[in-house]
Amino acid sequence: MRKKVISLIARQLWKDAFRSKVMIITLGLMAILILFSSYTGWHNYEDQNHIRTDVQEEVQESWENNPDKHPHRMSHYGSFALRMKHELSVFDLGMENFVGNAVFLEAHKQNTVNFSEVSMSSGLLRFGEVSLAMLLKVIVPLLLFYLGFASIARERENGTLKLLIGQGITRKEIVFGKWIGLYSLSLLFLVSIFLILFFFIVAASHGMWSPQSFIRYGILFVSYLAFFGILSAITILVSAYSATAKGALVKLLAIWLLFVIVLPKSLQAAGHYLYPTPSKIEMERAVESDMKLVGDSHDPDDEHFNAIRDSVLRVHNVNDVNDLPFNYGGYIMAQGEELSTKVYLKHQDDLYNVYSKQNNVERYSAFVNPYTAIKNVSMAFSGTDFQSYLNFKSEAEAYRYHLAQEMNQLQMDLIPNKGKEAPNKISSEYWKNFPPFEYEFLSVNKVIQNELISIIALLLWSVLAIFGLLKLSSNLKAI
Amino acid sequence: MYTLLFKSFFRTKIFLFSLVLLLALGIVSIFIGKQYLIKQQTNIEAAQAFQIESIKQNVDYHGEDLGLLLYYLRFTLMKEPSNINAISIGQTDVNPALQAVTIRGLEAQKYDTDFENPSLLMSGNLDLGFVIIYLFPLVLIAMSFNLYSEEKELGTWGILAAQTSAKTKFLMQKLSVRAIFVLTIFTFLMVTASLVLQIPLGAPLLAIYVQGFLYLLFWVVLSFWVVSFLKNSSFNALILISTWVVLTILVPAIVNNFIVNEYQLPEALDAMVEQRDGYHEKWDLEKDVTMTGFLEEYPQYASYEVPEDEFSWIWYYGMQHMGDLTAKATSKELREKLLLRNKVSTNIALFVPTMHAQLSFNKLAGTDMLSHLNFLDGLTEFHKNLRVGFYKKIFDLKTADAVQWDNYNAKFYKHNTEFSWLLLLLPTIITILIISIFTFLNFKKIS
Repeated sequence: MRKKVISLIARQLWKDAFRSKVMIITLGLMAILILFSSYTGWHNYEDQNHIRTDVQEEVQESWENNPDKHPHRMSHYGSFALRMKHELSVFDLGMENFVGNAVFLEAHKQNTVNFSEVSMSSGLLRFGEVSLAMLLKVIVPLLLFYLGFASIARERENGTLKLLIGQGITRKEIVFGKWIGLYSLSLLFLVSIFLILFFFIVAASHGMWSPQSFIRYGILFVSYLAFFGILSAITILVSAYSATAKGALVKLLAIWLLFVIVLPKSLQAAGHYLYPTPSKIEMERAVESDMKLVGDSHDPDDEHFNAIRDSVLRVHNVNDVNDLPFNYGGYIMAQGEELSTKVYLKHQDDLYNVYSKQNNVERYSAFVNPYTAIKNVSMAFSGTDFQSYLNFKSEAEAYRYHLAQEMNQLQMDLIPNKGKEAPNKISSEYWKNFPPFEYEFLSVNKVIQNELISIIALLLWSVLAIFGLLKLSSNLKAI
Repeated sequence: MYTLLFKSFFRTKIFLFSLVLLLALGIVSIFIGKQYLIKQQTNIEAAQAFQIESIKQNVDYHGEDLGLLLYYLRFTLMKEPSNINAISIGQTDVNPALQAVTIRGLEAQKYDTDFENPSLLMSGNLDLGFVIIYLFPLVLIAMSFNLYSEEKELGTWGILAAQTSAKTKFLMQKLSVRAIFVLTIFTFLMVTASLVLQIPLGAPLLAIYVQGFLYLLFWVVLSFWVVSFLKNSSFNALILISTWVVLTILVPAIVNNFIVNEYQLPEALDAMVEQRDGYHEKWDLEKDVTMTGFLEEYPQYASYEVPEDEFSWIWYYGMQHMGDLTAKATSKELREKLLLRNKVSTNIALFVPTMHAQLSFNKLAGTDMLSHLNFLDGLTEFHKNLRVGFYKKIFDLKTADAVQWDNYNAKFYKHNTEFSWLLLLLPTIITILIISIFTFLNFKKIS
């Protein structure tokens, strides 16, 4: 392969692309779309995180400002956890607006995460959102297909392909020249979007450089590089194996519709159909009936808790719970909290397993649909996938549990049993010393583990693309 | 002439392909709707059973103390199921169709969500509305992008042009064959849906049909307009698919981004915190603070005594209610902003047929934002009636025996769909007329 020939062919593709008026208009529109999504993405990220940080701080302040009181009052006062947006959500909104943003954390109860953007939408959100990643995943592929459908098919129709080969240019040079030409066109969009994104990450870090964000950024960039390489190869291959340019275009448009619209949606629906989601009420009933089996601290005649009482009395060698050296109410609540949390989390895990099964139907289609692969990789590394949300939920739940148990411990240690002389309140210093909720994003390692399937699919597709191009290099039909 | 055109159309590959695709996905979407209705029904039955069970259970545990019993008891309000929902599932997958509330502060309960897989919410429901709005136009495009250019490229146009006096008329007939085909499948699917889903015949169903019909007609005239430029097939395909992408993906998404950014809702979070603080701070304040506020709204309970150094239920439920009162203003602002979001969306949608079709479908099916806000209003009323119904008995320190529990079954909330035919149909009709005029002018130029 001669570099000079390849670059000549590649440059010719560029020239052809920029010759048409349509292309210039499209480029202009793309520039506007990129600016619009950058602006709205950044604006939304800044505003929302600002609002949420304010609320989170306000919540902490009011927590600390509580006067001296009984610790159990504090575990009902509770706290809130606000889900912060990852800075890369500016790039890919993913599920960001389809999951809840705030949850009330209190003793005895796991509340739902409420106020998702979608629940407050007029229904328009279902059409989708514009983000930089959406442009790369949905619009640029279509553009690539437009730009490349004729690349080989028309040369053959016009008879110029025969001429090129006649002039001693090898098939391999033609195939790779065209591919590099088309690929480099797509990089125009990729690079400009990632340049903008770079500034956003720097701006969002506020001087606190986080290597994690840059690694995520790097992985995203490499993944999209691979994705466009694959798409360019598909375009060239379809163009080469179609009899006419028109046929190539129709096929490519069909592929686009299938990959981007029809397959993901149908498979998601199929997953939902195959593994129905249990309703909230079913789960609540199941949790309640399990609670009754293991022990219900609200039932005055519960066997489990009566047994605990008897054994505690025995160990401390007293006859009345009020003679115990610690606050018995606090002790029982700690036991109850532990039990109920365990039961609830078990059912919640079951629910998430159903979700995973539902999602896997589409996830595994990455091996036939590169769009699905890039979609999942892109969301995951932008911190806007389902796992990132679950991470928030589990951190919020861990904080809730810790808060409730800490208050129970304070009650056990410092609150007198019934009939004993001592104040029923403890100092507000205890609340001031309790640390605020802080949300930590998943580590890159964890994200890689979560998205291993999509990453492997993307790699396989890359290999397949190169293999396809090589194969075409040997059997490209000149006429 | 028509029989001939139909015959030649039936022989094309695209005819068979579209027939299979539309029928298959249409029927799948109807069954997805059916599954949705079944789930709704199971939910309702579960809620009814759960309520009876949980009343019985809690009366057993805490029957001696009505105040404590009602701390735990939850009462369910459910949207009355309406089969037409299944045509356009809309917002009902994210907004719960039933809410179980205690008589404690409502603000902390009314936004609780049901469980739904966010991946599914994101990819959206494959309901009949989706098939009509997204897939039908694609099929129309596939069938008409080479209406003229095909003849031209095959070389038949010359012969036709020589034989047929009115070339435009010929193209129109050719197009109308395709339009009739698509509209027939649409009608068939609508009839099937109404039978399978057992949707009662009525104005909303008819309106969905007419709106869907007009929406498809819009795509027919749009395709014809593009054809009227008499360009080659590739150009037509590019333009039509791009238009489809712009109308079904880009414009709605841009409008959505605009609305989300322009009308942010910090009120939602503020109201949540205000409610909690408004209630909890009362524990540490003089009891008068609570009672003054509470008695202002409910003077009929002024005669009850509220001991200063002791817990009492009137004080407790008074505090709970104060939480709601504290958040009331912000909560109202939130509601108004949501209405504003809805209004801006529907207004912009008047100019974009895809958005207009989607939002009208949701509205007609009773699955739009408005119907959920009305449900929340209904829930507020329901909650108020519960409280007022129980207050006196609790404050009189009655036991569970004082309450006729049979009257406290899960209740239904009835939704009424109201719409204006004019606002529904006019936008699409006007768009169709405008495009038709352009097309007419184009053809006039060439003939």
